[in-house]
Amino acid sequence: MSSLPGSFAGLGRHFHRPIYFSLVTITTLWTMSLLTAAIQDGGITPLELVLLILYAILMLWINASFWTAALGFVRLLRHQNDADTFGEAAPASPDESDGPFKTALVMPVYNEDPERVFAGLRAMYQSLVETGRHQGFEIFILSDTRDPDTWVREEWEWRRWAQELGHPARIFYRNRVENTARKSGNLAEFCRRWGGRYRYMIVLDADSIMCGTTLVEMVRRMEADRRLALIQVPPVPVNRSSLFARMLQFAGSLYGRMFAAGLAYWQQDTANFWGHNAIIRVRPFAQHCGLPQLPGREPFGGDILSHDFVEAALLARAGWKVRLADDLGGSYEEIPPTLIDYAKRDRRWCQGNLQHTRLILARHFKSLSRIHFAMGVMSYLASPLWLLFLIATGVEAYFRSLTVPVYFFGNNVLPVWPESYAVEMATVLWVTLTMLFLPKLLALILLAVKRDLAPRFGGLARATISVVIESLLSVLLAPVLMLFQSKFVAAILLRTTVGWPTQERGDHQTGFAEAFGAHAVHTLIAAVVGVVTYVYVPDFFWWFTPVLAGLALSIPVSMITSRTSLGLLARRAGLFLTPAESDEPRVLRLLDDNLAASQPTPQTTGRDLWSWAVVEPSAYALHASLLPDENPSRRRRHALEGIIFKLQDEGPQSLNTAEKRALLSHRDGLYELHTQLWAGAEPPVSVQRLN
Amino acid sequence: MGARIMPASIPDSESLSSGPSVAGLDPSDWQRAERRVSDYLRAMGISDPQEIERLLDQVRQRAAIRAAAAPLEDPVEAAIEEAHSLLDQWLIAELGLEGDADRLCAARAAVLNGAVPGWSARWAGFASDSLAPAILAAHLPATPEPAPLNMEPNRIDLLFHRLGHRFLASICRVLCRSSLGGGSPGVRS
Repeated sequence: MSSLPGSFAGLGRHFHRPIYFSLVTITTLWTMSLLTAAIQDGGITPLELVLLILYAILMLWINASFWTAALGFVRLLRHQNDADTFGEAAPASPDESDGPFKTALVMPVYNEDPERVFAGLRAMYQSLVETGRHQGFEIFILSDTRDPDTWVREEWEWRRWAQELGHPARIFYRNRVENTARKSGNLAEFCRRWGGRYRYMIVLDADSIMCGTTLVEMVRRMEADRRLALIQVPPVPVNRSSLFARMLQFAGSLYGRMFAAGLAYWQQDTANFWGHNAIIRVRPFAQHCGLPQLPGREPFGGDILSHDFVEAALLARAGWKVRLADDLGGSYEEIPPTLIDYAKRDRRWCQGNLQHTRLILARHFKSLSRIHFAMGVMSYLASPLWLLFLIATGVEAYFRSLTVPVYFFGNNVLPVWPESYAVEMATVLWVTLTMLFLPKLLALILLAVKRDLAPRFGGLARATISVVIESLLSVLLAPVLMLFQSKFVAAILLRTTVGWPTQERGDHQTGFAEAFGAHAVHTLIAAVVGVVTYVYVPDFFWWFTPVLAGLALSIPVSMITSRTSLGLLARRAGLFLTPAESDEPRVLRLLDDNLAASQPTPQTTGRDLWSWAVVEPSAYALHASLLPDENPSRRRRHALEGIIFKLQDEGPQSLNTAEKRALLSHRDGLYELHTQLWAGAEPPVSVQRLN
Repeated sequence: MGARIMPASIPDSESLSSGPSVAGLDPSDWQRAERRVSDYLRAMGISDPQEIERLLDQVRQRAAIRAAAAPLEDPVEAAIEEAHSLLDQWLIAELGLEGDADRLCAARAAVLNGAVPGWSARWAGFASDSLAPAILAAHLPATPEPAPLNMEPNRIDLLFHRLGHRFLASICRVLCRSSLGGGSPGVRS
């Protein structure tokens, strides 16, 4: 029988969503009433109506975010022990009452740096071994890599690690022949071929790191609730050194936990899947999460790009629970090191999220899943809406500046002074800014209250300085991101598809040429808009200066924030310090060690790796052994022969990536090339053997 | 495992050039082929000159049979193919792998990657003990045994897509007095 407080707590859960959505709705209506009071001067013009509608949508978005953070703040304030949130979960024994089972750590990769991929996986495995529970886990590298050199390097790394671990085999690798449906297709193919072997799979990204105790705890929680299909553990950004990345890491660590706590509060059993650092019950996933193609052409039709939201919605639709484990630490990811890389990542995500507009009203989804879709769409649509709002505000200000005040009209003898709405407008602005910046203040209050937490962020004083600098830089970066995202949205609405570019994950710095190429337009826009507003609407110009400053300074800001020297300098000064930096978790230290100890690529004496894998007998044999057994067709054989002739006549540089990959993809073509190269006029230059 | 004969010296290309000729082949062609096969065997990790000599001899015999059946377009390529084939045949015989291409490739990878000590002596016929257990033990499976699950695309009914179809169908019915006929609404891939 449950205790009385427990019953109340259970009862209280039913009020979480009403509380949250009521707060969001009431605050939005209130802020709208403020703006209405400020602009309704003898009725509302069409332009003012547009302003009001845009403001309502944007405030709804801001309020949803604000109340998530505020409720998260209250939850964390009431939470007595922060150990779980920041540290590693307590080791727990998975319940194996109904027999042993296996959990797969699956890492889909696509042209990622193999050295980093394997160093990360090794760190996780080492961390698992330290828990003593590693027997229940197997690691699967699900490669969709198309680049031939990266493919060969992945195989080399897999073999080296598999040999070290020996039998029984726990590390598996496969490269998909066709990367149909991208990442979701990669996972689906894994489920179709090996899903029956595992009860759970923990999905990782190429830059994911999770500590062993967290992995074990995730399994334990899944075992404790048989209706639970997915647990998402919020990843904390780590490991980058540039000023830009360290700023984001700080923000992610300090505010992110508050947002995660707030999300868990109102999402409850219909939370979302963020694509990685999550555990999934394999059978219901296979049963309910096979994704259809959306009707029509890309960018809104075709493969579902941002599959994670849809998979969570499909699980929820089938009656399964999806939870966000905001109280669980030991989950990390790496983020883009520069503003430009960040924008490039946004470009990829933008299309996937906008595609969800078609799913918001699809039948049978739960209401909360629809809200997840809408929030995903809004995370990108907010930028063009802000842009429209700013333009509409400028136009409105211009028209108002044209109005000549009339002091004497009718039979009035005394002048009638025009009403000023400066106070109302200022109130609207301050309320909006408060909603945007209050979560940062709440996070600092949390540090002040929880004394043991502050030192992990460099102390309260340094954390406060960091928050101030981060806020100022955010003000400068926000207009740039607004224009980037607006451009992406426009490009997608104009039916331009995105590719599937590899992410630039490692630290690197933005040079002038790159910054100029990316931000010259922003600077130009700032100059033109600045002159126009200064000349025609000078009052508006001064309100507009924060936005203009961000755009005008985008080139130097983009370059300066990409500097690792500044990031490291800030770290030495104790600024933007995160718990993962001040007390580096064991699994991250293991990653560092593995990267330092990683072996160089084989000495191929000038050959590309793919070419080495064709010529060198041991590398050739390894690669051939990892290819699927297929019946050679005449058509393919002729195609391969054509590529081989091209290689022989025009040299390796004449082949493009697809042709190199074609040569490496089939045993018959590989054999043909291997023997022909060894039969050439000159013997292949000596190359290092694999072992 | 049979006794391993340690090499006195590694035969170089020059010492091989005086080897016996092959019927049906120009001696200079065969010398070129022999030198290349010798390089190939060394690239496989075989350093014992006697093993190389023995294997070359077997390749020579196979090339002669092949040349007797049909003129060789490229003797060097034919010899390399025969060396490759010789290894595969030995592995098939050693492991009893008739018709199993995956296991043959795995075994080839295991021996060439140096995971089976003494494999070249056994291949060349200098060792009598079977290496089958060692080769099988050295095999590292890249994937586990298949354990398939059914995963079919789920249906997602897009509201406007469905309404659009119905709307068009209604218009067609009104205007053309005929149905669009069985157009399936929603999404199914």
